[in-house]
Amino acid sequence: MRTIIVVLAALGALTAVGAAAGPEAVTFSESEIRQILSHGPWPLPMQRDPSNRASGNKAAMAWGAELFRDPRLSGNGMLACASCHQAEKSFTDGLPKARGLAAVDRNTPSIANTRLQRWYGWDGAGDSLWAQSLRPMVDSREMGSDVARLAAAVRGNADLANGYRRAFGAAPPADDEALAVDVAKALAAFQETIETGRTPFDDFRDALARGDRTAAARYPLAAQRGLKIFVGKGQCNVCHVGPGFSNGEFHDVGIPHFAAPGRVDAGRYEGIQKLRASRYNLLGSYNDDPTRSTATSTRHVDATHRNFGEFKVPSLRNVARTAPYMHNGSLATLADVVRHYSEIDLDRLHADGERILKPLKLTDAERADLVAFLESLDERVR
Amino acid sequence: MTAFRAAACATVCLPLWAAGAGACGAELSGATRTIEGTNYTVVFKTVPETISTGAHFALDFAVCPRAAAPIPRAVRVDANMPLHRHGMNYRPVVTAQSEAMFRAEGLLFHMPGRWDVTFDVDTGARVERLTGTLQLE
Repeated sequence: MRTIIVVLAALGALTAVGAAAGPEAVTFSESEIRQILSHGPWPLPMQRDPSNRASGNKAAMAWGAELFRDPRLSGNGMLACASCHQAEKSFTDGLPKARGLAAVDRNTPSIANTRLQRWYGWDGAGDSLWAQSLRPMVDSREMGSDVARLAAAVRGNADLANGYRRAFGAAPPADDEALAVDVAKALAAFQETIETGRTPFDDFRDALARGDRTAAARYPLAAQRGLKIFVGKGQCNVCHVGPGFSNGEFHDVGIPHFAAPGRVDAGRYEGIQKLRASRYNLLGSYNDDPTRSTATSTRHVDATHRNFGEFKVPSLRNVARTAPYMHNGSLATLADVVRHYSEIDLDRLHADGERILKPLKLTDAERADLVAFLESLDERVR
Repeated sequence: MTAFRAAACATVCLPLWAAGAGACGAELSGATRTIEGTNYTVVFKTVPETISTGAHFALDFAVCPRAAAPIPRAVRVDANMPLHRHGMNYRPVVTAQSEAMFRAEGLLFHMPGRWDVTFDVDTGARVERLTGTLQLE
């Protein structure tokens, strides 16, 4: 295969195609370059969510931002969305498992770039950002409110009622559930605006796209070597696809399924059951889009035995800020995650013979390079 | 869109092709692929023509019986990654678009790589599986 020499950092220039490279050079094949380019450009253009009439509405975004930090939406008046989704931790909480009014079985996922998702939550029980925004508010372990209390909070506080009027152009409706869903839709309108910035990887990717070798050479060599593993023998980009670094789907990656001794977290298997039972899914009456144009996934999703123990593929943007990792927060560092995939125990997989994962058997240096690449997906180190 | 199932259309439209009314899948414009089976031919195209990982797409296709092959009662569409040993996470639904055309909606390839698309042509007495390949970068 023809080889393109991408970067000779030591020389600050590139040799011609197929020419000999210096000892530090990282070379990428044409196929690898195509794969690298597929992870951009970034950011992606904003698109409003047709299922949410508040999406893209500036007044709704502003009210949603206030609601996000408002503990009056919780059952005890002490917890807000921002209690667990903390901006300084890329909208996670730094804990292995979330803690609301009670302990939760899963790690708090980041809500950055959440507008790009097809499914919400580790099990994908939500098919819209607004449906997902309602769920923790009425979950007894998380914010512990309910539809009636949410509606009463909005109607009973002048500032919240005024916020509703600004966002939706009308007085809060008399129907509790409709009002609670609108609160969730305003929260979603705000969360759609939470987007991670450009990263060193994005600069490298764009430099490749425009053939700017000088700019490409600024990308650290360790990150380049890690990127080569990511799109090469690691095949990480089979699941961590595209500009968002996630295919938005679900996989069993060998993390134990037990939420507690004797209690199993069924993951996607249960998520599909919850999705179908939900009054708030995109096939239901709260979808503001009469054409149901974004409901294709909900309409066609297939539940199979292999969904048991599958959890959603997270985005890798700003991943260095979202430790600990995996659906149960069981891996403390990025180095631990890379080691997990390097030494993965295939006997732990329950995926009906899927052959996606295999132990990568990376060397210490390769694991460090892969971590360096993952860290280059962080907006703060530019 | 015509709401009745593929089997209903097959009763009407397939004999037209068998009788020489035109090339199988002549109604399909753009890039098509042809699968020749023992008793049937399938001509299909993706909609949109270029598909992406993680994005829903549809298949427009024609099923044409060879000379004495029975008229199928139903056609089912699915896809899988043979190297990974898994299928899609979505179940396509086949409907008739017109007298001569079928559409499978709801497909989504969630990984790049080779996908085998299967068309199960069901006569009621037997099923013939025709398999085409799509490569997703």
